Amino acid sequence: MRLKKMFSPGAIYYWLLAVFLYLPIFLLIIFSFNDSALLRFPLQGFTLQWYRDLRNASELLEAAGNSIVVGVFSSLAATVLGTMAAIAIVRFNFPGRNLFVAVSALPLVIPAVVIGVALLILFRQVFDWDLSLWTVGLGHMVVNIPIVTLIVGARLAGFPDNLEDAAMDLGASYWGAQLRVVLPMSASALLAAFLTAFTTSFDEYAMSVFVVGTESTLPVYMYSLLRFPRRLPLVVAMGGLIMAVSVIVIMFAEWLRTSGERK
Amino acid sequence: MEHRSRIATLVSPPALFLIVLFLLPIGFMALFSFRVGTFGETRNMFTLDHYRDFFANAPLLRLLWRSLLISFWVSIYSVVLAYPIAYYLVFQGGDRKLLLLTIIIVPAWVSYLLRVLAWKVILGSTGILASFIAWIGLDPRESAFLLYSSDAVTVTLVYVWIPFVALPIFAALERIDPHLLEAAADLGCTKFEAFLRVTLPLSLPGVVAGFLFVFIPTVGEYVTPALVGGTEGVMFGNLIQDQFLRGLNWPVGSLMSLAMLAIVLVPLVVFARFFKISDIAGV
Amino acid sequence: MKHPSTFKLILLILNLLMVSVLTACAPPAAEETPDEAAPEETEAMPEPTEEMVEEGGPITIMEWSGYEVTENPYLFPDFADTYTPTLESVTEYIFFAEDPEAFARIQSGVQVDLVHPCESYMGLYVEAGLMQPLDTSRIEYWDDLHPKLKEVGQVDGVQYFMPWDWGYESILVRTDLVEEVPDSWADLWDPQYAGNVMLWDSGQANYGMTALALGYEDPWEVLSPEVVEEVKQKLIELKPNVLTYWTDYTQTWDMPASGEAVLTANAWQDAYGYLVGEGYDVAYIDPAEGRMSWVCGYGILKDAQNIDLVYEFLNAAAAPSSAAGLGNWYWYGHANTAAVDLIDDYIVEFMSLDNIDVIFEETVFYQPITEEERGWLIDMWNDVKAAP
Repeated sequence: MRLKKMFSPGAIYYWLLAVFLYLPIFLLIIFSFNDSALLRFPLQGFTLQWYRDLRNASELLEAAGNSIVVGVFSSLAATVLGTMAAIAIVRFNFPGRNLFVAVSALPLVIPAVVIGVALLILFRQVFDWDLSLWTVGLGHMVVNIPIVTLIVGARLAGFPDNLEDAAMDLGASYWGAQLRVVLPMSASALLAAFLTAFTTSFDEYAMSVFVVGTESTLPVYMYSLLRFPRRLPLVVAMGGLIMAVSVIVIMFAEWLRTSGERK
Repeated sequence: MEHRSRIATLVSPPALFLIVLFLLPIGFMALFSFRVGTFGETRNMFTLDHYRDFFANAPLLRLLWRSLLISFWVSIYSVVLAYPIAYYLVFQGGDRKLLLLTIIIVPAWVSYLLRVLAWKVILGSTGILASFIAWIGLDPRESAFLLYSSDAVTVTLVYVWIPFVALPIFAALERIDPHLLEAAADLGCTKFEAFLRVTLPLSLPGVVAGFLFVFIPTVGEYVTPALVGGTEGVMFGNLIQDQFLRGLNWPVGSLMSLAMLAIVLVPLVVFARFFKISDIAGV
Repeated sequence: MKHPSTFKLILLILNLLMVSVLTACAPPAAEETPDEAAPEETEAMPEPTEEMVEEGGPITIMEWSGYEVTENPYLFPDFADTYTPTLESVTEYIFFAEDPEAFARIQSGVQVDLVHPCESYMGLYVEAGLMQPLDTSRIEYWDDLHPKLKEVGQVDGVQYFMPWDWGYESILVRTDLVEEVPDSWADLWDPQYAGNVMLWDSGQANYGMTALALGYEDPWEVLSPEVVEEVKQKLIELKPNVLTYWTDYTQTWDMPASGEAVLTANAWQDAYGYLVGEGYDVAYIDPAEGRMSWVCGYGILKDAQNIDLVYEFLNAAAAPSSAAGLGNWYWYGHANTAAVDLIDDYIVEFMSLDNIDVIFEETVFYQPITEEERGWLIDMWNDVKAAP
């Protein structure tokens, strides 16, 4: 019976598609060990050169550091704001709720180029600010708040509000109840939302390129390398590392999110 | 009532943030499209010239249309390819369905730029696809799929988006009550008929959500076209980016962004009329 | 209940993240200056010390890719030798692929100390109030730089830019992959080359070469909306022949090498030098209408920070050793024409590096453009790209 299931048309299709999805990634990993500056076949031999070069690629590492800083802080802020929005949406009914939901979700579906352009005009023409990692961070928050709202909101919708009511009956204030009952219960969703936001921020290029200043983020720097083909092996090696880390982080976030739901 | 202050406290910060850093900028961008120039005194002068020139610029409008078509086909292909995966996982996945779904999702979290780069390698004229075509005896240079074409853009984008589309479809299919299918079988439907008349319609909100989830951002795509599109695969987003990072004609660039925004809002509004977010996200 | 352990888990993760943030932010360990003294040629300049670098910080250069001293120290040997162990903490680069891009980014507020534009854009930078004049007394080899090239870097008699590199634009041909080697710009339109042509992603360059192909002797004299429109139509006609656009010079090296680009237009001569050196059958033609030519140079932005370091860099750029590196590696001309005998003879001969008048009299030299003309060229190129 198991065997029949394994070779059902659905299963075959699934595995074919999975191979299709993973093949290009494995290709890049292979090339990151290829002893050649050009990304073409035939392969030239095994080398760890590119990974070794990473240690000296100070600009690349600086950009990576910038991305981590921007990612952590903008995701923290987005998690706070998104959680507040989620609590309001799920637990309350108020005039303008639908509009608020729509606005909270909108950045997720607007093309990144439009957000980038709009922010560039805001920062440069209206506020007359210099472009910097701050402007990038603010942009990332705009893109990440909807993600956090959706993830945390889904979790909150999954358990009823009588626990907070019980806490309040026992003498806790509303905010105390939030802090000591609701947040801990959604902790896994909060963390999952933070990690998801972080990964999105870490990989964000399309909008960031408009509001980035002298200090680069990793994707912006990587793209500049992509345009200048001789640096490609370094990018691929960096990519190999990023892939490994992102995969681990996201699988962890997924586990957290779903383990929260199973409670 | 007490609730009002709680609501206000919870709603104000995110609302304010999104108003100042999302809604307002878009408003300013719309206003900026009426300026004459980007810097100096020209930026304080008003004109309708850019609008007039834009609507008179037939090649530009045709490019916008072509970009919409590319986005449309990318979305269709993604949905069509992702639907069987979601279906298989929901109805035959059993206990492992979440794990199997995660396996499909994980590639999506690899850096977008790297995934496009991978396709640049595969599609290149000394890449795998070309070698394969040559091996089976055809001329690689005749193949339309190769690098620097709009087909290359389509293939790469479908590859990027399939994992993202699988999610809402999966969620929608999961929510279908299996009893409905049993009832259909009891009433004499074949499996295929049951699919057509019960499963498919009920999963429609998820399908449409998935379609829009791909379609809307893809309309503004410029990274993939720049890397694998060559001359044929240029999309509207590329020209917008040019206006800001090369052309210095921000009013025209704003106008183009605004046009794009208007176009993507149409399907969104239509969608919102017929479905609610609660249908898809369960929020 | 599971909550306490989840909390601990969260704390652990946050700790890990904080640690990684802090290590990423840690300033690089202070480097020691090299023991060797500054090289002999710069005796007149104050010795570079650790304080000098720390005070002003590194210099940021808006540069074409391929000239960065960190990867190509032979282009600025004096500077590289002085700062060798710490070169990467002394210079930071932001790359661009075309003049409009550099101009746009600086106008948009990106802060740099030095910029490396070409002749047609130099005036625009000054007009936009972005530059400070050069103190030529601080540049040791200033008098060795050719006067005609120095003139190019002047606006209203004030010296804003120091000329550095000059050269040509022409068609690079893989002679073994074509039946007929083209001998004019107009030949690019020949249907036999369908799918074989690679163009520079630059409206200005393509305007120039197309105007020549259309029969105009001097594209920059006749620059007007009517001619731009004519050029636009002609470029749209070229599209079936075009494989793709190149944005970085290494594409002009690699794609002809792989055979993907048989004809590469508006290629600079560094590609020819490289491919010849690698043993490929290539030609850098002398089109009937004439090659195009250019001069580029460095200018100091008004808000530049570490001025002393900036002038050190400029001195290294003006030095004969730089001329030797630029000529022998890239086959480019250098503004220090007195140093031309440091370059290999066959290169000097092929590229007429000893005769600066060539670029002014025998080729089509890029001319300064106004802001309005800049807009025409960019709009034209966008329209060409938008056309099916």
